[in-house]
Amino acid sequence: MTGADMVLEALEREGVTHIFGYPGGANLPIYQRLPQHPKLQHILVRHEQGAAHMADGYARASGRPGVVFATSGPGALNLVTGLATAAMDSVPMVAITGQVGSKVVGRDAFQESDVIGCTSAVTKHNFLVTRVQDIPKTIRQAFHIATTGRPGPVLIDICKDAQMADGGEFEYPDEVMLPGYQGQAEPDLSRIEQAAAAINAAQHPVMLAGHGVILARAQEELLEAAELAGIPVGTTLLGIGAFPVNHPLSLHMTGFMGTGWCLKAVQNADVLVMVGMRVDDRVTAELSTFAPNVKSFIHIDIDASEMGKNVRPHLEIVADARQALQALIPRLQPPPESRASWITQIDRWREEHPLRYTRSNGHLQPQDVLMDMYGRCDDEAIVVADVGQNQIWAALWWNYARPGLFINSGGAGTMGFALPAAIGAKFARPEKPVWCVAGEGGFVMTMQELAVAVEHQLDVKIVLLNNFSLGMVRQFQDDFYGGVRSQVDLSVMPDFVKLCDAYGIPAVEVHKGPEIAAAFDQAQRTKGPFLIDFRIDPEANVYPIVPLGKGLSDFVEAPLEIEDLVLEPAYEI
Amino acid sequence: MRSEKELVISLLVEDNPGVLNRVSGLVRRRGFNISALSVAPSERPGFSRMSMTVDAGHAEVDQVAKQLDRLIEVVEVRDLTGPELIHRELLVGRVDDSGAATLTKAGAQVLRQNGHGIVFQYTGDDLAAERLIEELKGHGLRELSRSGPVAVRR
Repeated sequence: MTGADMVLEALEREGVTHIFGYPGGANLPIYQRLPQHPKLQHILVRHEQGAAHMADGYARASGRPGVVFATSGPGALNLVTGLATAAMDSVPMVAITGQVGSKVVGRDAFQESDVIGCTSAVTKHNFLVTRVQDIPKTIRQAFHIATTGRPGPVLIDICKDAQMADGGEFEYPDEVMLPGYQGQAEPDLSRIEQAAAAINAAQHPVMLAGHGVILARAQEELLEAAELAGIPVGTTLLGIGAFPVNHPLSLHMTGFMGTGWCLKAVQNADVLVMVGMRVDDRVTAELSTFAPNVKSFIHIDIDASEMGKNVRPHLEIVADARQALQALIPRLQPPPESRASWITQIDRWREEHPLRYTRSNGHLQPQDVLMDMYGRCDDEAIVVADVGQNQIWAALWWNYARPGLFINSGGAGTMGFALPAAIGAKFARPEKPVWCVAGEGGFVMTMQELAVAVEHQLDVKIVLLNNFSLGMVRQFQDDFYGGVRSQVDLSVMPDFVKLCDAYGIPAVEVHKGPEIAAAFDQAQRTKGPFLIDFRIDPEANVYPIVPLGKGLSDFVEAPLEIEDLVLEPAYEI
Repeated sequence: MRSEKELVISLLVEDNPGVLNRVSGLVRRRGFNISALSVAPSERPGFSRMSMTVDAGHAEVDQVAKQLDRLIEVVEVRDLTGPELIHRELLVGRVDDSGAATLTKAGAQVLRQNGHGIVFQYTGDDLAAERLIEELKGHGLRELSRSGPVAVRR
């Protein structure tokens, strides 16, 4: 069997059904054999970055690794942003790139680049394959590494001569031999006991849940632990969905754009349990004033290197979130009487610091768009957000009930992520409504992938929150950089309705609040892709926000005039 | 003296092409700094031993070993820093003939002496090696090659 057939055969053995890719000189042997493998559906993208984000969205929506093909040189290098996005957010992916022939590697051959060197920092691991007989074993290892422990992207760079060579009989190994890659440890029960003791004795406990809870499928254990011990739970941006937002114990989102009541709770907590998260700068804001009343930081994460990287925990538990919570639950006690006032206090903070926004200025408000949308999505739709204000609005003004319903580039913050990731999510979950929420700035970075949505008549609805500017950057310039608006004006943009028409995609513009519902009605009635160009308030800001360099206690809320005052909690409790 | 942020780390790594690049790339991008490094085949076929002296930079010191351990090809990370450490460094260099007495006193070995200076070798711990280098600077020390410390536990 040739190396090319071995690649495709191995992918079938791994249960792969979708490949997002782009052919070129150095992977042509694989593409030549692709038609012989009809179980593998190949989606031809329009730019390799799109392939990487599609595979990423596919993986996040399905829990299965996303697979990418690209050729050598520029093809592989175009994956770098997508690999970094997946690596930062621990998303399982396998990218297979063609490399020039092994005999010319290092001679600056046509379309040669050092893909291993260039992707080492943005992958969990990568492999250069120069010999045909190494192909099956390497693909087996790549899938194992990508999907186990803390997941992440793995790249395999396969020389063209290895793809073409005859490697004899195909044998796919069952066992993976990786002496430096251990399976993850069982939670240390003595530490679990200590954690339970600290939580049981706490007066003001708070739990924060990150992406690790979702990756470990630990949402039920988290809910059980929280309800049993009466602990309020906030999530990180990537942890959204790990805990139902409309639960009485929900603090919604934490971090420097988190809800006021969550930040109050974190800053007053005496025991803070952080599960499946990195505790990064967006969660802590100014580190020296983060959670100043905590006597016991308990950090549960599968990656030992996260312990003490940013915040030094009192108790480190290196474990899968689900296993750790399962061990914790039988040791937790119902909340003592004395803790009732803590929950009452949080309820008071929720009333004092609700999510709110101005809407009496006559402009279309993004929050109105999202709330109308939420009202018709019935907790079923997958929302894929881009990066910027649109991302935070989509995170906060929605009532995510389960994992996998909100997808975004949290760690890398990659603009242009949403459209291709939404396409990938739709391939993964064709039965689900998929909504892409993006600003016009990010949308035009990868909008060439509209062609893929058309080609496959994907039911992806695009909600463009269009303010003709880089809204988040503009807000930062206004608030933190002396009000100097520098290079944020995007007033020259295509007419998006005409642009969509050119692709054969129906689209409408919405300028006023009363038009929102009709536009969504039309989008939902239409089969296939649909775009709504919402012309939102150009001065709309994201709130709450912690000013740069300040601590979580310094969060700033929407500055409302008395006559403007509109309080709109995202949900009812 | 070593700074509190400086560690002596021993790594057992798979002897694959590019493994040194992975280790050094990780050290750079995490903001650590390598001040000494030696690599050679280990007692296990297919595996190499790296001994390195690393400064943790702005990171917490335990991050060095934890981050290195995440690399797939790193099989074992041992932080040898501390009083239990036995480490030796090899120096090979050339000095003027006037350095002969200093070399003898330090226990260095003369490899070659032909009237145009002395080629010597010396093995000792890092403090002794530093001391000898300082003393030999007054005797025209040149072409000095240092192995960097290699270490085991006591």
